[in-house]
Amino acid sequence: MEYIIQTKNLSKKFGKELAVNGVDIRIAKGEIYGFLGPNGAGKSTTIRMLLGLMKPTSGKVAIFGKDLKSERINILKKVGSLVENPSYYPHLTAKENLEAIRKIVGVPKTRIDEVLKTVRLQDAANKKVKGFSLGMKQRLGIATALLNKPELLILDEPTNGLDPSGIIEIRELIKSLPEKYGMTILISSHLLSEIDQIATTVGIITKGKMIFQDSIEEMRMFARQYIKLKVSQHEHAWRTLLASGMKAELEDGHILLSDQTDQHVAEAVQLLVQQGISIYRVEEDKKSLEDIFLQMTKEELAG
Amino acid sequence: MMMRLLKVDMLKMKRKGMWFLTILGPVGVIALQMVNYGVRKEYLLQQNSDYWGYYLKNISAFTPLAIVLGIAILTSFIASIENETNAWKQLVALPISKMSVYLSKFTVLSIMFFLSSCLLMVFTLGFGLFLDFNQEIPFLEVFQYSFFPFFAALPVLALQLWVATVSKNQGISITVGVVGVIFAYSAFTLPDWMIWKWPSLMNEWDDPTINVWLGLGVGSMLYIIGMFDFKRRDVR
Repeated sequence: MEYIIQTKNLSKKFGKELAVNGVDIRIAKGEIYGFLGPNGAGKSTTIRMLLGLMKPTSGKVAIFGKDLKSERINILKKVGSLVENPSYYPHLTAKENLEAIRKIVGVPKTRIDEVLKTVRLQDAANKKVKGFSLGMKQRLGIATALLNKPELLILDEPTNGLDPSGIIEIRELIKSLPEKYGMTILISSHLLSEIDQIATTVGIITKGKMIFQDSIEEMRMFARQYIKLKVSQHEHAWRTLLASGMKAELEDGHILLSDQTDQHVAEAVQLLVQQGISIYRVEEDKKSLEDIFLQMTKEELAG
Repeated sequence: MMMRLLKVDMLKMKRKGMWFLTILGPVGVIALQMVNYGVRKEYLLQQNSDYWGYYLKNISAFTPLAIVLGIAILTSFIASIENETNAWKQLVALPISKMSVYLSKFTVLSIMFFLSSCLLMVFTLGFGLFLDFNQEIPFLEVFQYSFFPFFAALPVLALQLWVATVSKNQGISITVGVVGVIFAYSAFTLPDWMIWKWPSLMNEWDDPTINVWLGLGVGSMLYIIGMFDFKRRDVR
């Protein structure tokens, strides 16, 4: 398997605090890799190490199969990036901002109009970025990242601070890139829903540690929904359900039904009522990202 | 690559008024003498029979101040362009070496101060001729008083650029700049080893070329230290 990004035991220490702890990322060609984690989990630090902005305390980064430390410049020629809040020069126009980067990456001038068109900023090309909305600045950031026709695009929280229509627009844009240009994309977010809709592979990091890395389908297994029942005599109720062949789990005095078809829920409720068990609440319980983190970290500790 | 980076740095300085300041410096220094000689030319001519020499001394009293002040302002300007939206992270993630990024900033600043020095020489000659001293023009001294302070100020430039690029807080570089200006102002009382004294071209041996050589030597040393520190640091 050819990996575009491969890190080995990547770690970063700030003083005594271990911000990134032995992370192994593997991203194959053409993937949209969703890099998930709560704020402060080490996503940005990891991304900064991938771009050579920060030096790892230990561990290795290989991009396009080359060592980042020794071939940083050659690697970065084929990488486009947007790290956290977009960087720009407010006193310059959108075009001048792109020109300042274009001169360095050395692509023809026509690329500027192309990328402006891609992010639909052509009408604002000659306006100073100072007056741009956050969404426009974010799109300019993406345009900058696309300027050198990168083979690898690294986007750190690209939809942060955008309104819903902006998020959808950026999402569609990102989705289209691998097919159109054969790019591999690493996109980070703290929102599962965000990653869920674009990524093909997911890596989850928390407290500096990678706790999950697999395809999005595997990920969805964890994010499934439950019907949660609050009942009297939960122990008895649970056994009753199991005895009649229904899938149910007992958790913190609640019963969780994983099969959530209407018919199944109705049967379960009926069965419990017949057994004289009081039902206080029947609710849908969608696992939040936090819950999944908790679940995964628990498994991490147990296993 | 270096040429491209220089062009990019020049582009980023657009609409920032930095070129205006570059011109304002020498204009200001000569304007002070215009006032001085405009108000009391007869008195000043009585002070010393070497009219040109005395005129140059008067100018050179303000040149170091203008240079040190200019260095403080322009270095913070050039660093603030990248600091404002933390564009360092975008710039350093491009396929260029961090050292060339630093060298480009230093070069742009040097070009500006060199230009200032050229203008200072032109204005010095211009106003000197206007004053009509009727003495032979001391071209060598005019050249020395225009360019030597710049070379002697290179350590200050290297130090300020270093402080401005690595400190997240612009307050720090402004503080260092202000302290530097105060030092330059009181150059007369400073010991010879203080870099802020050097642009005044004063030293106990009365030989301004010593300040130039010291400026070039210590300037390159501080530049190299600053560049390697910039390269070593993580971009946050």
